[in-house]
Amino acid sequence: MSAAFQFDDNPCRPRHFKPPPCVPVVPDGPARRALDGCRPRLFAVGVAFVIAFVVIAGRLAQVTLLPGAITVPRIARFDPLPPPPPGRGDIIDRHGKLLATTLDSLSLYANPREIVDAADAADKLVAALPGLDRAALLAKLTSGKGFVWVKRHLTPDQEYAVNQLGIPGLQFEHEERRVYPYGALLSHAVGYTGIDDNGEAGIERGLDGALRGRQEPLQLSIDLRLQYILHEELARVVDDFTAKGGAGLIMNVNTGEVLAMVSLPDFDPSHPDTPDPNHPDVTIAERMFNRVTLGDYEIGSVFKIFTTAMGLDSGATTMTGRFDATYPIHIGRFTISDYHGKHRWESVPEILMYSSNIGEAKIALAVGGDRQQEYLRRFGLLSSPTFELKEIGRPHFPARWREVNVMTIGFGHGISETPLQIATAGSALVNGGILRPATLLKLPHGGAPQGISVISPETSEHMRKLLRMVVLYGTGEMVDAPGYVVGGKTGTADKVVGARYAERKLLSSFLGVFPMTAPKYLVLVMVDEPHPNKASHGYATAGWTAAPAVGRTIVRVAPLLGVQPVDESSPEIVHALTPESLEGKRIEAY
Amino acid sequence: MIKLSGLFWLIVVATAGFAMFAVKYEVQGLADHLARSVKQADDTERDIRALGAEWAYLNRPDALAQLNQRFLSLAPIATKQLRTSLADIAMRPAPPPPAPVETVAAVAPIAPTSTPPIESDAPAGPPVLLAEAAAQPPSPRSPPPEQPRPILTSAPETHLAAPSGKPAPVRVALRPDPTRRAASLDQLIAQIAESR
Repeated sequence: MSAAFQFDDNPCRPRHFKPPPCVPVVPDGPARRALDGCRPRLFAVGVAFVIAFVVIAGRLAQVTLLPGAITVPRIARFDPLPPPPPGRGDIIDRHGKLLATTLDSLSLYANPREIVDAADAADKLVAALPGLDRAALLAKLTSGKGFVWVKRHLTPDQEYAVNQLGIPGLQFEHEERRVYPYGALLSHAVGYTGIDDNGEAGIERGLDGALRGRQEPLQLSIDLRLQYILHEELARVVDDFTAKGGAGLIMNVNTGEVLAMVSLPDFDPSHPDTPDPNHPDVTIAERMFNRVTLGDYEIGSVFKIFTTAMGLDSGATTMTGRFDATYPIHIGRFTISDYHGKHRWESVPEILMYSSNIGEAKIALAVGGDRQQEYLRRFGLLSSPTFELKEIGRPHFPARWREVNVMTIGFGHGISETPLQIATAGSALVNGGILRPATLLKLPHGGAPQGISVISPETSEHMRKLLRMVVLYGTGEMVDAPGYVVGGKTGTADKVVGARYAERKLLSSFLGVFPMTAPKYLVLVMVDEPHPNKASHGYATAGWTAAPAVGRTIVRVAPLLGVQPVDESSPEIVHALTPESLEGKRIEAY
Repeated sequence: MIKLSGLFWLIVVATAGFAMFAVKYEVQGLADHLARSVKQADDTERDIRALGAEWAYLNRPDALAQLNQRFLSLAPIATKQLRTSLADIAMRPAPPPPAPVETVAAVAPIAPTSTPPIESDAPAGPPVLLAEAAAQPPSPRSPPPEQPRPILTSAPETHLAAPSGKPAPVRVALRPDPTRRAASLDQLIAQIAESR
């Protein structure tokens, strides 16, 4: 306090300029007491700051000097983004062959506002990218828009060529494109995708949701080699008999897996809309139509196997049962007669071997309408099948099941089924009576579904013998696949056009199974409107068209499937596959 | 004192600044490297996909069939060429009984070059199966020839699987050692296995 007064000792200092006292002069009193109370608070704040700085310094030392102290993600903004997953999973066959994949491709677009010399740019681009129309391109480049596509999906060579041009205002855009290396071979099974990668047909459509954003490939039950062979043989028979189309199917009878599925005419999934140069008159809708799963057909005599099976299984008849097929049946305005008629009493095996309509109609009558419906329902022949494709047809049958319907359905008329259903139910007849749904996806080894027992194992064994007899002595003689113990059934039906049966418009089909000693695979071939040729002596029936095609297919696919040829004339096989009632007897050829 | 502490802090700041920039550039370099590597991996993956598609395209069965027609003319295996076991393949006929001593010179030794390869005695068995059989350990006893053929052997699918429906030409070149003539099937199998 005395120091403050010392300054004032200077007499020269102006009176109005008084320096502030260096030491606050606080007189004792309430102010003094308040000021004294501040000191601890100031000290506390100071300590808090010191602690904060020590903590920061410590942390700094820890982060910079000590290794491994950083647990937070390393410099997050530099973390690379995971590569964008392909927009759609690959599709592979049962042995891993690539059936459909997604490839990255570059598309070229231009910003016309940035292009300096449009005419020059158009000239250069047309030279670098053959196939571009110069006039159209020039029109685009001078349009004044901000964005025009020049060309979609360039090859790497073209990309290089365009980069070499160095035209400002051109940009590339990454796009994805679905590629089908095998083209038309799998058109109906795999299908195709449209713009925006939407599945439009086949498995691409049926399992669209599962394929989107999928990482691991989707494995189908299809075997590419079998598919090729079936495709070739079906195309051959369709071509030989100038047919309208055809359907083919190879199925594993014990699992329900579809190993090959062909529908002709077909299309190239890469360009589904372009017409076929070889057959320009075939419409695109016709080529897209999947005859195996979507088309439902009155399959004719092949259906007799179901009637015979239900006759045997229900106890309506036995293997030694006989029916009078001497005279045609007249019912209402219908007449049921035989094509390969023997005009006598025939036993059950003979009825199937000689494909007697009269006999089957009588077996169906013996079974009865109710039980017939019940069996057909069990075989899955009265409802749409479950399958991975969306192109699924449904069977057509009369709403009122009258006596005449019982008889005609007995030999496969008046009911229409998709070939897929026929094959699925046919597999059940020979594999011991277990119906398993058809599938287009590869099942894990031993992963076949439990299935439903639809007929007894004994009936199934009878059916094997009967189908073998058909090939040995009946209408399926032309199968000709020696060594593979083929059994099967032919079917030639008049097609329904409008509301009546069309003459000379046939639907010839053959359902073959091999080897009959222990059935493994089923081959179904259906030829739509075959026309007789010279080699077939004027016939276009199943025995001359579909059956040889099945035979040729079996001879080629059996080695690939690991089925070994055996000596068909060996007594064991002959004994195992001959019905007891026919054993040792001379069997009449049809 | 003030000067000393000022120098100290200057050094500290300079060191820290230098270290920070060094670390920053290193990190930047690493990040660039990482980005490049990622892009490279991406490109490689894309290339692999494209090559996979191309491989599939070039291996179309119809293309292979055409190539086969032009260059190889391989035919599918005929049914009669398939045999389930070696027992089905006829053995070479036994050598003629030794000639009498005085005519040894006339008969002439069985020259190694005149020995036909073992294959030629077999009725055109598929070499694939032969090779397979050879790969299996020899059975202690070969099945007697009069044994009935198996009705059906369930071979796994892959056994006869040839790529794309066409049998692959597997050539088993057998150069039988003339000094060691196979007396039994077991020896023959051992000989084949040895020669491979």
